[in-house]
Amino acid sequence: MTVKTLTTENLSHLAAALLADGTEVIAPVKDSSGKVDYRAVKQAAELALGEALPRKSLKEFFLPQTECLFYFKQVKNDVELTPVPTTFGPRIVLGAKPCDAAAVDILDRVFDWDYHDELWFGRRQATTIVTLACPMVDEFCFCTAVDIEPATRQGADMVIVPVAGGYHVETVTEKGEALVTKYAKYFSDGGKQAEADTFRAEAKAKVEKNLGINTKDVRAWLETHFEDGLWHELAWRCHGCGACAAVCPTCHCFDIVDESEGVNQGTRRRNWDTCQAGKFTLHASGHNPRGEQCNRCRQRVSHKFMIYPERFGVLLCTGCGRCVRACPGGMVLPEVLRRVNAAAQAAKTEPVTEGVGQ
Amino acid sequence: MKELQELARKLLTDGTVGVVIGWEEGPRGIRPYFCTRPEDADKLVFTPRCVHNLATYLSPRRSNVRELGKVAVVVKGCDNKAVAGLVRETQLKREDVVVIGVRCGGVVLDPYGPAELTANTVADRCPGCDVREPHNTDHLVGELPPPPPGEQRTAKLMSELEKSSPDQRWDFWIEQLSKCVRCNACREVCPMCFCERCLADKTQPQWIDSSPHPRGNLAWHLTRAMHQAGRCAGCGECERACPMDIPLMLLNRKVAQVVADSWGYKSSEDPAVAAPIGTFNKDDPQEFIK
Repeated sequence: MTVKTLTTENLSHLAAALLADGTEVIAPVKDSSGKVDYRAVKQAAELALGEALPRKSLKEFFLPQTECLFYFKQVKNDVELTPVPTTFGPRIVLGAKPCDAAAVDILDRVFDWDYHDELWFGRRQATTIVTLACPMVDEFCFCTAVDIEPATRQGADMVIVPVAGGYHVETVTEKGEALVTKYAKYFSDGGKQAEADTFRAEAKAKVEKNLGINTKDVRAWLETHFEDGLWHELAWRCHGCGACAAVCPTCHCFDIVDESEGVNQGTRRRNWDTCQAGKFTLHASGHNPRGEQCNRCRQRVSHKFMIYPERFGVLLCTGCGRCVRACPGGMVLPEVLRRVNAAAQAAKTEPVTEGVGQ
Repeated sequence: MKELQELARKLLTDGTVGVVIGWEEGPRGIRPYFCTRPEDADKLVFTPRCVHNLATYLSPRRSNVRELGKVAVVVKGCDNKAVAGLVRETQLKREDVVVIGVRCGGVVLDPYGPAELTANTVADRCPGCDVREPHNTDHLVGELPPPPPGEQRTAKLMSELEKSSPDQRWDFWIEQLSKCVRCNACREVCPMCFCERCLADKTQPQWIDSSPHPRGNLAWHLTRAMHQAGRCAGCGECERACPMDIPLMLLNRKVAQVVADSWGYKSSEDPAVAAPIGTFNKDDPQEFIK
């Protein structure tokens, strides 16, 4: 790990230099209505670092909401396939939220599970992620409750922490080292460790107040409460839309469709999908194993806090709170976790037969 | 508020209904609340943050809500237009639901944002509201507050957009619709999107590309706007639900205006008022048939 300091001015110069060198620079950008999104910038002045949480997470830069897998064309009695490139030009993300970078690391596991996803890893390899330590967005942040902290190094190639006059810089991976080496003139030697540590500790303490749960107990409860009144109760309010999954940094389920474009030709695409939609599990026979919204509400919580950790050893949630902020029906995941956690704690002292819901 | 809570408690206690759908103070602002026990009736509230149109929970798609027994629903006048819409389109029998109307002085844009009702925070449908006191309800509660402040922003934006060139409008909509992630929140919160199988979900043939690229997004949103012609209750829930802040009510309002200009129909709280889409008169205007 190399420790450096980067002034606010030099960060802007660094972004300009990267752009001049032909690196795609992705950063939080504010639109005319004041909303923040991650976007490829054309000039350094567009950077809106340390502003609000971007509406969507970073995942779209690795798993685009729609992407072409290959093109097909019928030629006489055969089908001709044209593959898409799986290598990408150099990219850097400047000022990613740490929870969003952690999500990318979490998703590496599933995209290298039964199939090594060339498109995901092609983009991963081409991208250097610089995270900006987060002071906490609001009371619906709960990263510390899901094994992440507001300045986590997980998924980051380089972490920058706000200090007086600029940023304390820590490299995490070789990609981060390479960045500091190549653009050495913008960085000054030595960091501001004490100031950065204080920032980290304060942010962590703040987020910890939002939610405190034992995720192992939550998982144990989920394993034994496949049927529970809680799922029915959640489903009353839930609209069954996919807003939560769309803005979620870790929801990664996709649909694959063939779209005809012209006669006898078309594109096979991969599109974001969501377990909250009934169609997601609808079989061609008409049967739907998750036919009710309560099944689907259970699925989302179970996948994040039971299934994924069982398979990959990490939770499928970074506690960014986007699902809470996006939900038109007022669903609050930390509230669900708090209730499940309380039931799990109670079950430790006395065996309960009743569930959590009404 | 007390009046609403007492009424809900009475309806649940005497078994008139199995659930009262209203609003509660949640962990993050106001949210829909399904009150199934008389002892919980005190949780029901009505404030300017009670934005959600709860009529959407009366849709036949919500079989899980119907399992709770007969439903009582708390509605503002605007929400009541959606109840009427469901009855008008035979999705709901009026006698199957107890409608509790609340007198309303307007709601805010965001149920999770500031509680104070001002010209800046007021929901777009509120200024100039003609149904602050709901009609055709089973119960009517609360005092009538003063009229909502401010003016309709969408109407202003719509007239500005109408003045621009077709190319500019095209650019505007492609930019807006490019943001769409096809989460379907607009459809799922909509009380009038009750189709058991939405056109957008059909795959044989695939009428609308499911991909969230501009082609698919344009097809989806324009189709939805057309399907809402003479049906949209004007509650604005689609726009509120959109995680990408697409101004969907611009489309719905435009279509509603065309329907009003052509057939004199405006979204109504009275199910007996026939909607143009389901009626035929020999003297219907036919100028559009060329």
